[in-house]
Amino acid sequence: MISLDLTVAGLITGGMYALVAIGLNLQYGLMRIMNIAHGEFLMVGAYLAYWAYTMTRVSPLLTLPAVFAVLFLGGLVVYRLCFRRIARAAPSVEVLESRSLLVGFGLMFLIQNGAFLAWGADLRGYEYLAQPVEIAGARFGANRIVVFAFAVGLSLVLLAVLRFTLFGKAVRAMMQSPTGAQLVGIDISVLHPVVFGVGLALAGVAGALLSMIYEISPAMGEPYTVTALIVITLGGLGSAPGSLLGGLLLGLVETFGTHVSNPSMKMLLSYGVFVAVLILRPRGLFAR
Amino acid sequence: MSARATLAATAAAVGVLAAMPWVLSDFLLSLTISCLMYAGLAVSWAMFSGPTHYLSLATAAFFGLGAYVTAWSHAALPWPVVVLGGGLVAASFAALVGAAVLHLRGAYFAVLTFGLGELVRHAITYFEKSYFRTVGRVLTTTPDGTTIYFTVLAVAGAAVAVAALVRASRFGLALAGIGGDEERAQTLGVATRRVKVAGFALSAFFPGAMGAAVSVRWTYIDPSAVFNPFIGFQTVLIAMVGGAATLGGPLASAVVFSLFTEFLRLRFPYVFLIVLGTLLIVLVLYLPGGLASLLDRRRAPAAEAARG
Repeated sequence: MISLDLTVAGLITGGMYALVAIGLNLQYGLMRIMNIAHGEFLMVGAYLAYWAYTMTRVSPLLTLPAVFAVLFLGGLVVYRLCFRRIARAAPSVEVLESRSLLVGFGLMFLIQNGAFLAWGADLRGYEYLAQPVEIAGARFGANRIVVFAFAVGLSLVLLAVLRFTLFGKAVRAMMQSPTGAQLVGIDISVLHPVVFGVGLALAGVAGALLSMIYEISPAMGEPYTVTALIVITLGGLGSAPGSLLGGLLLGLVETFGTHVSNPSMKMLLSYGVFVAVLILRPRGLFAR
Repeated sequence: MSARATLAATAAAVGVLAAMPWVLSDFLLSLTISCLMYAGLAVSWAMFSGPTHYLSLATAAFFGLGAYVTAWSHAALPWPVVVLGGGLVAASFAALVGAAVLHLRGAYFAVLTFGLGELVRHAITYFEKSYFRTVGRVLTTTPDGTTIYFTVLAVAGAAVAVAALVRASRFGLALAGIGGDEERAQTLGVATRRVKVAGFALSAFFPGAMGAAVSVRWTYIDPSAVFNPFIGFQTVLIAMVGGAATLGGPLASAVVFSLFTEFLRLRFPYVFLIVLGTLLIVLVLYLPGGLASLLDRRRAPAAEAARG
């Protein structure tokens, strides 16, 4: 039953899922901000890459740093305007979570419909690195392999940053104990906006990469938000290695699941996995 | 207002509204149905999520379940049974789900209730596709417009009356206790689990019945229309804007929002949603207790401060 080409296909899909989830995971893990507009920022990243490629023929891979920078700055602004006040005013973590969720919905409406107004509802796309490459007897677009490499690479870089740098130490300390971290001199007013910005920037990068494979439209964001939610729930909210493994696992489950049943089961399968994990292991599959 | 006065006011309002089919034009009547629908949805959402602070996004799931009860049974069963059945199916679903997931709080609960709605939608799509080879359904024998109006009015009126009764009862106090401090409520002898499941199921009955009653207005229904997450978001938005901790707040804002939606959404769909999004953000940031907290604050500043 376990065939090599299905495994590779599942891993490649899973890599994309992991990529989509990284930014949201970081934001939620550190600040308990469930940014439901995550997919909309991903969509903005995708459009930036699309315009850069169609207007100047610059490779989407080269525009990645620019996309990162633009969304990082955007993230700082959004944090300053919306989430700073919520984080300060909320009396408890639950209230903070539900208020930031509602603000996230507001942002979602705002950005998605702003994009509809600005760019129209058409599906857009371009061809980049679409030639097939053969792995394990099956053919995959070269762009999918690139995206997979980036997903794994970015996850590893993020892990390394969290593990080995002073900044990463501060982030981890904040995740473990916000009060304790502030007592030893970690400055929330710097760390929170920066991490929020990095989270949005990673969403934008994911969008730019995915624009090489899929057609883009202003409404593309929502399914990715849902995928990201499923992935970080699988991996445990806030855990960086967990979300990489969770993404890969979801990719494998979907690929094998639709192979043995039929393609219309795909959404049912991912939501089924999601709900089952939340009910049975709400702290994530890999929680100890 | 005491529970009795609220009930009397509700009865009077329902009485006045019951005369509307003979007064209003068809267009205004259908507008009134929209107002009543969102009033019922928002009030029943606030019945549970207001006092407990459990942010439920499952309204669309309950609504859609009710609509599908209609789709499956409206040709075979009498109309009142269909509507009651829609409510009961949604309430049993909520009880089942609540028993499994109401130990989760905060974003987990919100995300899970959203996921459940989508799960039900995809399950029904899959079921319909594999057993009936169809995605949508055409409703053939529908009751006439006046019957629909009275049904929606009855469901909305019942939702308001039940919400008023719950607020005045020990059950309502227990719900508020859970929202204030769940562990303390437990220590004081509230069977928190049972209360939460019962409250969640009760608040699911009305969206279910409403879905069953309203869906016949659309002669064709499919899962993406009746499980539209937008129904859930708008309900939460209306209740939060009005003030989820009150009864009058969600009612008033339901009327305002339905009018607003009716006149702007079709003409300027994108701008409408942009305005909606901005409004939501501004309200959560600067008026987290909803518009009703403005009145509240003037009346009892101390109580507001104590509630935090």
